[in-house]
Amino acid sequence: MSFIQKFSKLSVRAKAWWILAIIVVFAITVGLTAGGNYYNAFAKNLANKTNNIVMLPTVKDLPFSLGLDLQGGAHLVYQADVKNIPEKDRAGALEAARDVIERRVNAFGVSEPVVQVVQGSAGEYRIVAELAGIKDVAEAIKLIGETPTLEFKEQGAQVTQTSGTSTTAEVVENWQNTELTGKNLKRATLQFNTNDGSPEVSLEFDAEGAKMFEDITGRNVGKTVAIFLDGYPISVPTVNEKITGGSANISGRFNVEEAKLLVKRLNSGALPVPVSLISQQTVEASLGSKSIDNSMRAGLLGLLLVSIFMILYYRLPGVLAVLSLLVYGLTVLAIFKALPLWLSLILVVAMIGLIYYTFNELKIFNGTLAVLFAIIGIVLFVYAQQAITLTLSGIAGLILSVGVAVDANILIFSRMREEIKLGESVSQAVEKGFKRAWPSIRDGNVSIIITCLILMFFGTSSIKGFGTTLFIGVSVSLFSAIVITHTLFVLILGDWLDKRTWLLGAKRKKVEENK
Amino acid sequence: MIYRIIQKRKIFLSISSLAVVASILALIFWGLNFGIDFTGGSLMEVEFKNYQPSITEIQDSLKDVNLHGLVIQPTENSVILRFKENDESVHQVVEAKLQALVKDKQDASYKELQFNAVGASIGAELKSKSFNATALVFIMIILYISWAFKGVSKPIASWKYGVAAIIALVHDIFFILGVFSVLGHFYGVEVNTPFIAAILTVLGYSVSDTIVVFDRIRENLPKSREDFENTVNRSVNQTITRSINTAMSSILALLAVLFFGGDTIKDFALALVIGIFIGTYSSIFIASPVLVVWDKLMHSKK
Repeated sequence: MSFIQKFSKLSVRAKAWWILAIIVVFAITVGLTAGGNYYNAFAKNLANKTNNIVMLPTVKDLPFSLGLDLQGGAHLVYQADVKNIPEKDRAGALEAARDVIERRVNAFGVSEPVVQVVQGSAGEYRIVAELAGIKDVAEAIKLIGETPTLEFKEQGAQVTQTSGTSTTAEVVENWQNTELTGKNLKRATLQFNTNDGSPEVSLEFDAEGAKMFEDITGRNVGKTVAIFLDGYPISVPTVNEKITGGSANISGRFNVEEAKLLVKRLNSGALPVPVSLISQQTVEASLGSKSIDNSMRAGLLGLLLVSIFMILYYRLPGVLAVLSLLVYGLTVLAIFKALPLWLSLILVVAMIGLIYYTFNELKIFNGTLAVLFAIIGIVLFVYAQQAITLTLSGIAGLILSVGVAVDANILIFSRMREEIKLGESVSQAVEKGFKRAWPSIRDGNVSIIITCLILMFFGTSSIKGFGTTLFIGVSVSLFSAIVITHTLFVLILGDWLDKRTWLLGAKRKKVEENK
Repeated sequence: MIYRIIQKRKIFLSISSLAVVASILALIFWGLNFGIDFTGGSLMEVEFKNYQPSITEIQDSLKDVNLHGLVIQPTENSVILRFKENDESVHQVVEAKLQALVKDKQDASYKELQFNAVGASIGAELKSKSFNATALVFIMIILYISWAFKGVSKPIASWKYGVAAIIALVHDIFFILGVFSVLGHFYGVEVNTPFIAAILTVLGYSVSDTIVVFDRIRENLPKSREDFENTVNRSVNQTITRSINTAMSSILALLAVLFFGGDTIKDFALALVIGIFIGTYSSIFIASPVLVVWDKLMHSKK
């Protein structure tokens, strides 16, 4: 007999115990994922207290991804002026501009800057730079919007530097700035070498620049000088003789296209497209951490208030709802993190599998439902693998979803009470409560999911965040209300409960009296 | 006990009509207090430590910058400045002026907590995007309800459930806009991007609430021996506890945000609380009565 056949022969209760075992494993998994740092601290503490007798294995601590409004930083939106660029070259020019901005931002020491080209609804091009944790925004803005930094450097004394950890010493070229910079550039043109036809970029200096260039080449005959653009050497020629006349050629390692681009960058400012700052959002780190504290408090308080309300109003079922609400909370938090592929797969397959199973037990399973949940499962799977950036509005969506999450439970419990009042046995009432509440749960949640999808494609990042968290919340709440609450219910059913319907908050009509 | 809600529909429909008319009047006369997300401009939140300059002091120090529409609003431990200009150079000048306020004060310090600047073009784009998103939600909801209720044709057709739900939604939107028009006029509450998210969420929430009631009507209709009016009334009564409890739990969670969530999302939470309240009201007292009124109208024509 296969495992499945054996399983299907078990009593309803025995099956529910198995399902509960899966749920417990599931809950522990999401719990360790969501609160890995708390668990690790606990394990360390325990090991210390028991003199390393109790050594719990530690888990990998995955961080939450915090939005700029929570960790502080700057969100800068630049409008690119593309009117002088032919249509077909625009995308390429913007990519080049993006690269330049990214390089400049990197020089500023921001960890993981995000620089993206986005297209506005009217087809205009924008470059969005997100600089998390940046201290001096004004300086960064200046740096990004700057015209090219063209620098001429000469060689100083060569120094040998030993890096801290490795033993290999490397010779670091010690370039020193000269007085000549891009300021003294009159214009750059593309030329071809008269001998071999290779492309060259010719630089023409103003009078002051010509004088400086003469001096520099004069004192560096036989040595190399370097031409730096945006902090990177683009050409390092060797000076053969003093150059007079105020022009220089950069030749060498580039093809015609590259040379053309270089000329364009030098003439139009190193950014191939002129950009202007049209929107910025800057949040100081201290304000961000205050927001985190506030929303943590708000979230916990919200959870507590909803739990108290559910238990007071629905009594025993309320307690079950709160238990499944806890699993719900941990699951949502776990999905917010960037989970490894295998873990996302296991979690989503477990959730969808259990939902299919419970629907099958309730005999309300059909093809449409299978497709609906398969789609929700795939979207959740995609989200589980990437970090959902938590923003203030995202957290508000999360807290709201706690309220929505109990809705399915409320529908089921209200229905259950009605059935008990009509004289059904408790187990019948539970079964009918789930079954009859389902169409409302389905239609209600689908309409919220539709709204979430529209919010997610709405564009503005804060609204996207809100839609995404609400979507994850609503989807997971279906799992917690249907699978977890139902399984717990099956396990507590029995004669003892039939005699104590006050625990369910419903008085049964005396059937005898009706006769 | 059965509440006679549908039978008293004239009362509720009149109250709601009045509320909608009042909202429209408020919108005509006062409009909405659009924030910089829509209008373009700057918002600057700064913190002074150990020395709190007065509003007039700040105003005086910024006099030569000639800022347009400057509004200075002190909060618990910071000061918020709003003005029309949105370029970085102006921002730098303002920063320098504010910094100068604490320059010769002992131990006093100045820090910029946040700065938002939005270009006017982005604001216009947001307006059209918000409008499109709202329209899309409406269309999707009508389509979904028509599909979900496709089996129901008697006594009224399935698409009419969709229209009744939309009437309730339009009522909700006008009501929230009206409330925010009043709040904006008297308390300076602004309408920004999160407000749009709140409105759209309320739409989803309200319609899901309405669907629960309609689902019950759909379930009761085939086996009901009463007329349509009484069947609807019974269905509303059977679902009213659930509607109120769901709204309660959502509002409880949101109240936590309202009281502890920090300034930035308070208005957002407020819009959601008002919206959920009115969405629940409309699903009970508007959507279902509209169905009955529609049914009666069709019969009187025959």
